[in-house]
Amino acid sequence: MPTFKLDGRSIPFEAGDTIIKAAWRHGIEIPHYCWHPGLSAPANCRMCLVEILPNPGQRPITLDVLAWNDASHEYTTTQKPKLQPACRTAVTEGLDVLSDSSEHVRKARRDVQEFLLLNHPVDCPICDQSGECKLQDYWLEHGQFKKRMRDEPVHKPKAVEFGETIVYDGERCVMCTRCVRFMAEVAKDPVLDMRERGNLNEIVVAPGRRLDGHYTFMTEHVCPVGALTTKDFRFKARVWFLRSASVVCQGCATGCNAYLDYDPRHNKAYRHRPRDNARVNDFWMCDEGMLTYKEAHEGRVLGARLRGVEIPVAQALDQVRALFGGVSSSAVAIVLSAEHSLEDNWALHELGTKLLGTEGVFFAARPEGYEDDILIHRDKNSNTRGVRSVAPEAKPVGELVGHVESGRVTHVISLGSTALVVRDILARATWLSLAAHEGVLPELATVVIPVTSWAEHSGTYVNSRGLRQVSDKALEPQGESKAAWKVIGSVAAALGHDASWRSLRAVRSELLGIDEGGATRPPSSSAIDEGGATRPPSSSPEGVPL
Amino acid sequence: MESLDRELEQGELELPADPVHLNMGPSHPAMHGTVRIVLELSGEIVTKADVQIGYLHRGFEKMCERGTWAQVFPYVDRLNYVSPMLNNVGYALAVEKLCGLVVPERCQWYRMALGELARIADHLTCTGAMAMELGATTPYLWFIKAREMIWDILEEETGARLTHSFGRIGGMASPPSPDFAALCGAALPRILETVEEGEKLLLRNRIFLDRLQGVGVISGADAVSLGWTGPCLRATGVAYDIRKAHPYLKYDEVDFDVPVGHAGDTLDRFLVRLGEIRQSKRIIEQSLLRMPTEGPVNCDDPRMVLPEKGEVYTTIEATIRHFKLIMEGSKVPMGEVYSYTEAGNGELGFYLVSDGTGTPYRVRVRPPCFQVVGGLSRLIEGRLLSDIVPTFGSLNMIGGECDH
Repeated sequence: MPTFKLDGRSIPFEAGDTIIKAAWRHGIEIPHYCWHPGLSAPANCRMCLVEILPNPGQRPITLDVLAWNDASHEYTTTQKPKLQPACRTAVTEGLDVLSDSSEHVRKARRDVQEFLLLNHPVDCPICDQSGECKLQDYWLEHGQFKKRMRDEPVHKPKAVEFGETIVYDGERCVMCTRCVRFMAEVAKDPVLDMRERGNLNEIVVAPGRRLDGHYTFMTEHVCPVGALTTKDFRFKARVWFLRSASVVCQGCATGCNAYLDYDPRHNKAYRHRPRDNARVNDFWMCDEGMLTYKEAHEGRVLGARLRGVEIPVAQALDQVRALFGGVSSSAVAIVLSAEHSLEDNWALHELGTKLLGTEGVFFAARPEGYEDDILIHRDKNSNTRGVRSVAPEAKPVGELVGHVESGRVTHVISLGSTALVVRDILARATWLSLAAHEGVLPELATVVIPVTSWAEHSGTYVNSRGLRQVSDKALEPQGESKAAWKVIGSVAAALGHDASWRSLRAVRSELLGIDEGGATRPPSSSAIDEGGATRPPSSSPEGVPL
Repeated sequence: MESLDRELEQGELELPADPVHLNMGPSHPAMHGTVRIVLELSGEIVTKADVQIGYLHRGFEKMCERGTWAQVFPYVDRLNYVSPMLNNVGYALAVEKLCGLVVPERCQWYRMALGELARIADHLTCTGAMAMELGATTPYLWFIKAREMIWDILEEETGARLTHSFGRIGGMASPPSPDFAALCGAALPRILETVEEGEKLLLRNRIFLDRLQGVGVISGADAVSLGWTGPCLRATGVAYDIRKAHPYLKYDEVDFDVPVGHAGDTLDRFLVRLGEIRQSKRIIEQSLLRMPTEGPVNCDDPRMVLPEKGEVYTTIEATIRHFKLIMEGSKVPMGEVYSYTEAGNGELGFYLVSDGTGTPYRVRVRPPCFQVVGGLSRLIEGRLLSDIVPTFGSLNMIGGECDH
């Protein structure tokens, strides 16, 4: 691989890379506002200026500048190297670039930073970006100056509603145009643009339009400062109190990688942020997916119920023993869920087919919906392919109706909450529902036992392209809920069976075809990506697909 | 119930031959702190003493690992809570050593003056309480009256009488008040006067002297081998004072003596502390003379020191600086350091490890009285039960720093 030199260090690059991108790929950050790895580079923030040393024998490109001479008390002409934007300069073999080590670069950054803060309001205490703001970071890293301007700053529109989701603050804006470029280049809806010049610059929505569509949250996410804020997160939390867990979005079968930001003090989730993954979602997520964090708290089943009456979980298990004990295996059916993780589905499948000996295996799923060619998949379940790989024989839950109606199936154990089914008929069966959220299945069930949502346990999900992805635990289990695979173990014990799985590690090693000795067997389903099937999911710290 | 006037045959009555076990503390009016001593007595002679500490253990070192570096100050206040200012300064110096920071000269003199005030308060409390534990309540009240004068000054300077949390990385929370020198100048002679009055009540008192002289004797070699420092070590004749041996701040530029004892007994420890009060007075007077009245108290390093509050409210640059320091804390360079100062009881050491973040990776304290209390049992074994009270009092165990 060809290399170039950055501050004397040898850095490899790929053909077509700019300096900033090659450094970024190598884990070195050259300070920047307007550049974003997923967008075009307008080179308008001037924060990434670097000094490029001339080739041997070549004359350096210099500028004449006026510098104050303390001795003679006048401005004298001196020369300084012409700095280049690292986001627009292509790397060539052997290029010698100075970044942190150049005095001129450091001064340029400091001056750019000073200009950016010239008219900036004293908003940190009321700004949602505070704590993850590039203006704050770079002031401490590259600025450290005090205010020199004593004039009234330029005032611009504040709290401008761009649409249903986004609010704009002109005074905080550094005019990097990332939001403009995101809407034009990624969302393919050039609805934002810039108006006026110089310090009257502001971002505006196209006349007659609102900022809408399925990717408005991303404009806030790409904003390096607090100019764009989402109405959803505005004034809700201070980011330095939040912790992040690497999760997989549950909104659709794309399985976008995300961070779930939560406050451990209140066990409460506050937002999703996209997590970069070039194989799934690049840097982006859709609005619907960003808002699925709310499902960690909304509409949750938090306690066990017997025919609609709340009872302790231990009593519910006693009821399961009374209702399901001694039922012949052919009269029992299980319903897997495309909303739940591989682990949960595997445990239920194991209980149904191995321990109870049933052949009635069905699966429930959310109905299909909107799709586009950017990220949004029409399958609104996070793990449809996962369920298919665990139980290739599983039939849609709609087919269960006939079995119940004819009386062949009298007892059902289901996972998940959503299904498009004929409730009245299914309600004739004795139904045990293991559900995280309220929905059709827990409503029609005889006994409901709460299980945790994706946010409260670590689980594996297979997306529409067959990538196995691990979603980490963020919150502590709410109410009386426990991970479904654990609850299924308790149900097995209540029915007099000995569940083979005791730990998440055990479930996963079964799932991956790896026994405790570490020897590998071929994965049980060809649907699963061959490349990662032999690696345990927990070994991928960033949740990169396997 | 058996009748009490049952006739006993005198010949059958036997006194127990086994040693008596007595539990002294942890909560006992004559104990100088919350500590438990399990004693084995033969008559009134202590044959064996098992000193058990830990009743004030709060997991201080672990608590430091969850906040920022600056948030450790309130914790160190509560180490030796009789002289919190010395702990504040000691911790600040340790972090500054790791960062390679040197505070402005004005701050160095200010820290010395405040620290020596705290040392006087510490010694007044120790000697006064020791007298009180022997039944001499009046001198205690005298000494506490003198301590009140110091606390009034510290309250004027810091806003708090006991736990000031006044130290900062790279400076102090605020510059000296305009009246600081005048307050000290007025109070110090009165403090000395009061101390002398209190002394007169004790040092001409035969009973008091008898209970101290030749009690709790330790040799210099033994004290050194136990790791003793501070007044307890100096009472044995070893003139080791960190302010002289390894000067920090401006201690090498001031003129003061190191009082030492010769017998290493309880009386010497009592007298060394009273001598140090006078030396501290000298240091304070010299510091006040040499402390510049103008100029910065804090370093001007935006990565370490908070900006002026007025600027925080009016300029974005200072707001950002404030936010970065509060949200993430001062980023202390990766590395480890051991820094030590002379606190009220001796060498107060901080061993700090930084992983380069705003939160301490490890804060290890070497509290001076931990080693001193380690020698207690050998001081009291073979002595009378009643000797425990003055001996233990003279060691000045402070649970807050000892138990960690």
